[in-house]
Amino acid sequence: MSPPTPALRHQVIKIYKELLYLGRDYPQGYEFFKTRLHKAFASQKDLADEAKIRAGIKRAEFVKKEIEALYYLKRYRTLRQRYDKA
Amino acid sequence: MFRTALLRSARQAICAAPRCQAPIARPVARSFLQSKQTPPAACFQAVRCYSAHAGLAKQEVEGRIMDLLKNFDKVTDTTKLNGEAHFHNDLGLDSLDTVEVVMAIEEEFSIEIPDKEADAIHSVKQAVDYILAQPDAH
Repeated sequence: MSPPTPALRHQVIKIYKELLYLGRDYPQGYEFFKTRLHKAFASQKDLADEAKIRAGIKRAEFVKKEIEALYYLKRYRTLRQRYDKA
Repeated sequence: MFRTALLRSARQAICAAPRCQAPIARPVARSFLQSKQTPPAACFQAVRCYSAHAGLAKQEVEGRIMDLLKNFDKVTDTTKLNGEAHFHNDLGLDSLDTVEVVMAIEEEFSIEIPDKEADAIHSVKQAVDYILAQPDAH
């Protein structure tokens, strides 16, 4: 991905791993999530500029927070539904 | 808790000792301070701890990693899959797939591979060697 900057490479791999762990409970399934994530990361493989890579990592962090928020929302809705029904 | 177990085993060892060395007129009631140091070693060696390393055979590790790779959907050419296969050159996996494979290996053997070591695993052989070097791999 970024041969000249091993530290950045590690960061990218780290966020990739974290996203993969998060994707286990993705509503549309892990497979769906995994292929999408892989595509998203692979499409950025030609980035050579350090600033651009950092921006990409920022974006990945943002997506991670979005997924977390999605899970919270999903839980909230499920609970809400159950309480409303009763 | 541990201390009482230690004392008890020491006492047992003392009781057992005179039976085999009967002719020696050694006083049975030695002070505990003395006896605590010597006999427990012999006593505890006989006990195998649950946490002891069970020992993984190389073939077993290799087989499990191969099975894992066989079920990995991006490995299309399973004929090239052998103990020496390189993830990138032989199996056609990119670096992201390698990360996924390493994650799967982590789960299979219930260990955690640090990022630096995970980055160095590029082939089946390297993975097997790494797992064999880990005492807590299952």
